[in-house]
Amino acid sequence: MNTKLLFYYTALFMVFILGESKAQLTYQTGLLPAVNFNYKLAGDWSLNSKLESRQRLSSGTFNMDGQADFDYVLTDISLIAARKVGLNARASGGYLIRITDDKAIHRFIQQFAMTQKLSGLRIAHRLVTDQTFSRDELPEFRLRYRWVTEIPLNGQSADPKEFYLKVGNEYLNSLQDGSYDLEIRGLPLLGYIIDEKNKLEGGLDYRVNSFLRGNARHTFWVSLNWFIEL
Amino acid sequence: MGNHFIAILFILSFLLCPDLLSGQQKYESESRMRSEEVPTEAMHFLDAFQNKRKVRWYLEEGLDRKSIEAKFKLNRQKYSIEFDALGQFEDVEIEIRKKEIPESTLEKIKSQLSLDCGKFKIQKVQTQYSGDKSAVLSTITKASRSDAVTIKYELVVKCKSGNNSSLLEYLFSESGEKLAVSEIVFKNSSHLEY
Repeated sequence: MNTKLLFYYTALFMVFILGESKAQLTYQTGLLPAVNFNYKLAGDWSLNSKLESRQRLSSGTFNMDGQADFDYVLTDISLIAARKVGLNARASGGYLIRITDDKAIHRFIQQFAMTQKLSGLRIAHRLVTDQTFSRDELPEFRLRYRWVTEIPLNGQSADPKEFYLKVGNEYLNSLQDGSYDLEIRGLPLLGYIIDEKNKLEGGLDYRVNSFLRGNARHTFWVSLNWFIEL
Repeated sequence: MGNHFIAILFILSFLLCPDLLSGQQKYESESRMRSEEVPTEAMHFLDAFQNKRKVRWYLEEGLDRKSIEAKFKLNRQKYSIEFDALGQFEDVEIEIRKKEIPESTLEKIKSQLSLDCGKFKIQKVQTQYSGDKSAVLSTITKASRSDAVTIKYELVVKCKSGNNSSLLEYLFSESGEKLAVSEIVFKNSSHLEY
């Protein structure tokens, strides 16, 4: 996979999206703190559990005054079991519960991920399907693809006590009640490896959806991730 | 609820990871070096290559030793030159294609790999030159082989036996005898997958 091509393609696509959706540019900003626990089981198996919360800080329409409205949005708790299926690939499946103020949403997840070591960086490809169910809404089915690279800022690989850049891009195809939507995410994060068991990441998690219908919604999350190997 | 959630989350994390802030774990790493930090002797060794392209210098810190490595490309080949911490020459590794290994040696290597792995794929080959540094230089630059130079082949091999796949680093002698083998351990990638 040509990494440069991926970068250029993504940049071009983002410019296209932003250019096409000038008419209705609604936005939302917020915080997205997450703790990610990973536990190695016997053999090729491992478990991943993630606790993630969303806090909205402001929302509005571009070119108009936005409003600050700090608000708790939701909490996601997930548990995924994974099995190594190749030299550097993993197949996994699990369940996520999303807790909002007034309801619980259930999601079943199937995932395949592979990581490649290239000269001076690592790149991971992830393909996910998920099915979401809740009491008030029709089921939602999604197909997602994400690539993400880890670029060490010192040396050829990111080691403990060193920083790295994590840059990625995700495409989420969603089908609900016969209606299709595409969401695109961009991910520039700065990471720091505290030790072999702890990594911290902070940066932007940018998301845009509904642009196919001409009323693009942009979301700018300040993402804070903590990865812990138990 | 939001503020409480964040507070609980952080307290929980510190309880689960009491050694998080201690920073006392030992580790191995490699980091970039500025050329000004490189010992003169190592810099002088590189002059012989008349390489005009950029050289990347790395300091490799293991549990019991430090070494310095220079990486660069010359005539479309990847060079990696290793020195000890004082800049004393250790070896030169040049990435080559599999078919550049002499045929009889390659056959012997393949036989060994067939014995060790059910299925295998050679992913990377490097010729390693060590010995007297002047002799190594003339062997590489003038292709005049000297007895003072030892040639070995370092191979990265994807090895599959049964349901297990692993990536192995082999070291073979010039005649194809297996000298060493070690498993390449992948760095944790959960932060790239989840």
